Amino acid sequence: MSTTRHLVNRRRRLATVAATAAPPRTIATPRPAPEPLTEAGDETEASTGTEPGTEPEPEGEPAHDDPPRRRLPRLRIRLPAVLCAATLLLGAFAAWSFTSAGALRDEPSRQNTALTDIGRTSEVKGQITEAVGAVFSYDYASPGKSDLAARKHLTGKAVQQHKDMLAEVRAQAPKQKLVLTTAVTESGVEFLDGDRARLLVFADQSNTRTGKEEETTYAAAMFAVDAVRRGDTWRIAAIDTFTR
Amino acid sequence: MARVSMTTTPLRAAALALTVAAAVAAGWGGWSRYDAAHDASAAYAQARNDALAAGEQAVQNMNTLDHARLDQGLDSWEDSTTGDLHKQLVDGRDAFVEQIEAAKTVSTAKVLSGAVTELDDRAGKAGVMVALRVTVTAPEGEPAVKESRMLGQLTRTSGGWKLSALGQAPVGNTAG
Repeated sequence: MSTTRHLVNRRRRLATVAATAAPPRTIATPRPAPEPLTEAGDETEASTGTEPGTEPEPEGEPAHDDPPRRRLPRLRIRLPAVLCAATLLLGAFAAWSFTSAGALRDEPSRQNTALTDIGRTSEVKGQITEAVGAVFSYDYASPGKSDLAARKHLTGKAVQQHKDMLAEVRAQAPKQKLVLTTAVTESGVEFLDGDRARLLVFADQSNTRTGKEEETTYAAAMFAVDAVRRGDTWRIAAIDTFTR
Repeated sequence: MARVSMTTTPLRAAALALTVAAAVAAGWGGWSRYDAAHDASAAYAQARNDALAAGEQAVQNMNTLDHARLDQGLDSWEDSTTGDLHKQLVDGRDAFVEQIEAAKTVSTAKVLSGAVTELDDRAGKAGVMVALRVTVTAPEGEPAVKESRMLGQLTRTSGGWKLSALGQAPVGNTAG
């Protein structure tokens, strides 16, 4: 016991000498931040009020109290520094990860939910297939039906486009007793983002003249439509017939 | 350890809270980024885009042919296809070469629009529809321009998505 204590005291003395010999390191201890911690946290040291550099008092203290007291100042420097560094690193990582995650989510391929959103994809396909069939069909006997379909399924630019496209049919229909029927044979969603979509449509059109002699001609059509969702229904907003 | 926590002061507590907050943010951010990077629908979206890009290019290749550069054109046809379609092209190549050399035509194609109609990412199968404008120039006369409604089946190979079937959308039997 006495040998141990002797050794410890000797080491302590050496340490004190080393501490006074190298003031820059010890002066670093009572920096503005750690100082208040020392005062409030450690009654003994605060009450003795000694310079942290000299510290002659601990020599008289019991040896078992020594090691923790000696380690303490080092911890005091380290802990705030470690916390500071950890905060910076973690904060930097957090900032990077959120930015990076945002960038990944904003990739154009993810903005387009065609096929990835199965429900929406089949919804827009189904409704636009029906809409195309309705607005591009015309019966000379009931022209009102076509107008009704146009009002129901078209919006924006598509209203005028549709009017122009059917102008000739409307003009000739009563005379030739025209019945135009359009059926979508294939459709695919090119792009889908929330309430906007673009679809490629292949359709067959049969044009029946029931005038003197009944005569039916078939035509293949392909076009793309821009669709917008209003409430629960998708409407055609623009028709792209790929004209040069 | 007990002593260290005993010496906790408001300032140290604040520093610790800040670090904990940063750790929570980092954890959340890390999870968020992992989630974004490993999103299954994102992988599916990527497969869709890959299939469409490969499909459009393949359909365009299959409608492009210059009699003066037949080998190059037919190699590109064979590169764009797989399975039965590929086999048909290889088998019929010689006869086709004769035919085109006699006709001396130049075909060019432009993809107007394209969409993936179905995609089975796991099986590596996809269906595409492509609106195409093909211009065929013969030695004499005006170039003929026609619009084509192409339907293709794609199969994923080690070399990417390739056409395993290609045809025009049929017309006339569904309407009316």
